Amino acid sequence: MRRTVVASFAVVLLAACSQDTGNGDDSDFYQGKTISYIVATDPGGGYDSYARLIGGYLQKYMPVDNVVIKNTPGAGHLVGANTLHRSKPNGLTIGTFNIGLIYGQLLGKAGMAFDLRDLAWVGKAAGEPRSIVVSNNCVIQSIDDLIAAEEPVKFGSAGLGSASWSDMMLLADALELKVEIVPGFEGNEGEMSMMRGEICAIMGSTSSFKNFLDSGYGHLILTVGGELEGVPNAVDVAQTERAKRLVAIVDALAKLGRITAAPPGTPPARLEALRAAYKASLEDPQLRAEAARLGLPIDPAYGEEVEQLVIGALDQTPETIAMIKKAIDGTE
Amino acid sequence: MDFGGIFDALLTIVGSPYHLFLLAIAVPIGMFFGAIPGLGGKLGIVLVIPFVFGMDAVAGALFLIAMHSVVHTGGSVPSILFGVPGTGPDAATIVDGLPMTKNGEAGRALGAAFGASGVGGVIGGLFLLALLPLLQPIVLAFSPAEFFLLALFGITLIAMLSGDSLVKGMMVGFFGLMMAFVKLDPQTGIERYTFGQLFLWDGIDIIAAVLGIFAIPEMIALGAAGGSMAGGSKINASYGLAGVLRGIGDVFRHWTLTIRTSLIGAFIGMIPGLGGDAASWICYGHAAQSSKTPERFGKGAVEGVIAPETANNSKEGGSLLPTLFFAVPGSSGMAILLGAFIMLGIQPGPALALPENMDIVWVLIWGLMLANILAVIMFIVVAPGLGYLSYVRGNLLIPFVLALTFLGAYLAIRSWENMALLMALGVLGYFLKKYHWPRPPFVIGLILGPIAEDSFHKAMALWGPAFLLRPGALVMIGLIVLTIGIYVYRLVRHKDAPEWMHEDDD
Repeated sequence: MRRTVVASFAVVLLAACSQDTGNGDDSDFYQGKTISYIVATDPGGGYDSYARLIGGYLQKYMPVDNVVIKNTPGAGHLVGANTLHRSKPNGLTIGTFNIGLIYGQLLGKAGMAFDLRDLAWVGKAAGEPRSIVVSNNCVIQSIDDLIAAEEPVKFGSAGLGSASWSDMMLLADALELKVEIVPGFEGNEGEMSMMRGEICAIMGSTSSFKNFLDSGYGHLILTVGGELEGVPNAVDVAQTERAKRLVAIVDALAKLGRITAAPPGTPPARLEALRAAYKASLEDPQLRAEAARLGLPIDPAYGEEVEQLVIGALDQTPETIAMIKKAIDGTE
Repeated sequence: MDFGGIFDALLTIVGSPYHLFLLAIAVPIGMFFGAIPGLGGKLGIVLVIPFVFGMDAVAGALFLIAMHSVVHTGGSVPSILFGVPGTGPDAATIVDGLPMTKNGEAGRALGAAFGASGVGGVIGGLFLLALLPLLQPIVLAFSPAEFFLLALFGITLIAMLSGDSLVKGMMVGFFGLMMAFVKLDPQTGIERYTFGQLFLWDGIDIIAAVLGIFAIPEMIALGAAGGSMAGGSKINASYGLAGVLRGIGDVFRHWTLTIRTSLIGAFIGMIPGLGGDAASWICYGHAAQSSKTPERFGKGAVEGVIAPETANNSKEGGSLLPTLFFAVPGSSGMAILLGAFIMLGIQPGPALALPENMDIVWVLIWGLMLANILAVIMFIVVAPGLGYLSYVRGNLLIPFVLALTFLGAYLAIRSWENMALLMALGVLGYFLKKYHWPRPPFVIGLILGPIAEDSFHKAMALWGPAFLLRPGALVMIGLIVLTIGIYVYRLVRHKDAPEWMHEDDD
């Protein structure tokens, strides 16, 4: 009797183990499970909105019970990305964070605990085109004005070392813009400052300026990472070889935008299941309609395509890395 | 701007059972999110957005604004009863709310908090109405230069909140300022005192700090002394409904203070970037400073409950102004609300002031005021029951409150390290309490330090040292000099026995 109990216990244990490693056939693995969707910001805001939207549809296309949003904000998305990297690679955790962390990895910044290439990439929901917006009461009214400026033009930017600050530094260096960047404008503080006439312009994600532009306070003079009618693209403005290379990096990261990934070592079969459900969700007309209502653009790419984009962005020659370092840190 | 639709909008709300029903469920939901530490109104809005999705613009906006505007009314409950603030801006309520509970006046303190929240909310709404035509010039008058000086002004209030010893108050305040330096340097991106810990990159979390400095020491002290929160007091000192009504009466008895702090709160709320924590502490400091008997503060003065509670509700009316008319949210909570409004088809921005769009603005203003009134009525019903909690035995209460405290610290930034920080600050707080060192200056330093630092850097980058000569800056400097002057005058008048030379002996 006792032996039977032990044996059946062992069978159960083995079954549990095999389920956890994801080897062999586990097509019904997701049946009744819960997926955690890590978001590297507080509730509210773009990353959170995309995750909540997509999470709802993953439930529709996978037999899971629930997709739970886990907000792990802090340290400019590093806490969230590190949490994702450390999570068990059992196919039950995915996450989204600012892909600007690529700068941190390229420059070997403190706090990056892993190689972004190792993550199992699920897909991206949309790019995040970036633009320079100038206030209407500024002397600079076009990119040509800015390039020709003789006095430094005051720009606001998010905190030093943030992804948006790095973008701005790269772009300013690439296009040889004469700018003076005042950091520390978080959220909408930069827009307020432009309205007070303290700073002239800021660079940031195009979608975040929508209300500011609709209110008639300013207009866009340059964009990167997507085409925008009537607004010059930085890729075309860049003339020299060096400028082109630097702008290409900003462009690549902006095009990656709202990515989703799973921890390194996620079993291939489960990664495939995640990628398929992610794709089905983003192709769902109902999701598209809901996204349009929420003001979230959808421009997806899936699985290996995203993986290749990330690897491509990280695959820089030492001299390009030196160029980036000089632009962002001011050191070789 | 068209004021004609004001009363039509009121009729839209009270004339429709559906809208009244929405108000009646939004208010308790909002108060719940305020009352549980670490949840907060922001998360509340994010979680209800899917339910609001299908509503029409008026119903959805009414629901969201009603929920958002009463968060801090709920947040005052655990501040007063257990010294555990439900939200950051409710922390200042602890300083006098908790001593009132210990004196057996929990009912009165709750009544004062609800009354003050309600009046503050309504005045915030009226402020919104009154300032509509003048909005732009006032909001735009505040630049980083004025922010810096406003933060400095707040820091000088430490003197008022030092209790019996100015020297001790300043030391604790400076310690708080020092702790404010723990984070990534906003100007250079260099790690400052973070010891490689990512959770410290964004600075010491205010919720963990307040819970550590106030809640943990109270629980240790209660555990050591035995009995209940109100154990040392005579039962029936202020008990049941009578106490609650007395507290509400206090709000009107101190009507000049109520109006002043409501206006200051709404004003601070209107300026994006200062935040609710600063509003309630500055108002608390103002109450202590303008009192004829400042020595009562920190020992259970009802004005110390009224001031922060009016401020944290009235600021919502203030912060709606830039959110609606500039589409620039006054706080991160307002940013989420702004997103939700857009989803409902309300497009914030200057165009909202056009006559055809004003209807929805009136609905929002009425919704804000009605929700605040409704919250008071709902709470009067339950407050006597809540007051009894102060007589629950410590050994039953402590595990519950500690669980709430740790949960709050964890949820605030969703990181377990924050619980370790909570314990470390709890130990500090316990010794401060045990040796009668004032604790509010620590929180003021921690909250206002980063505002001062950040705006100083920006002001210097924008104008150089000449920023001190801007007209707004000169006014602020005048205020600071006046505050210090009054303090010194009071010291000189009591020359024989300067307060700060008394050694604390109670």
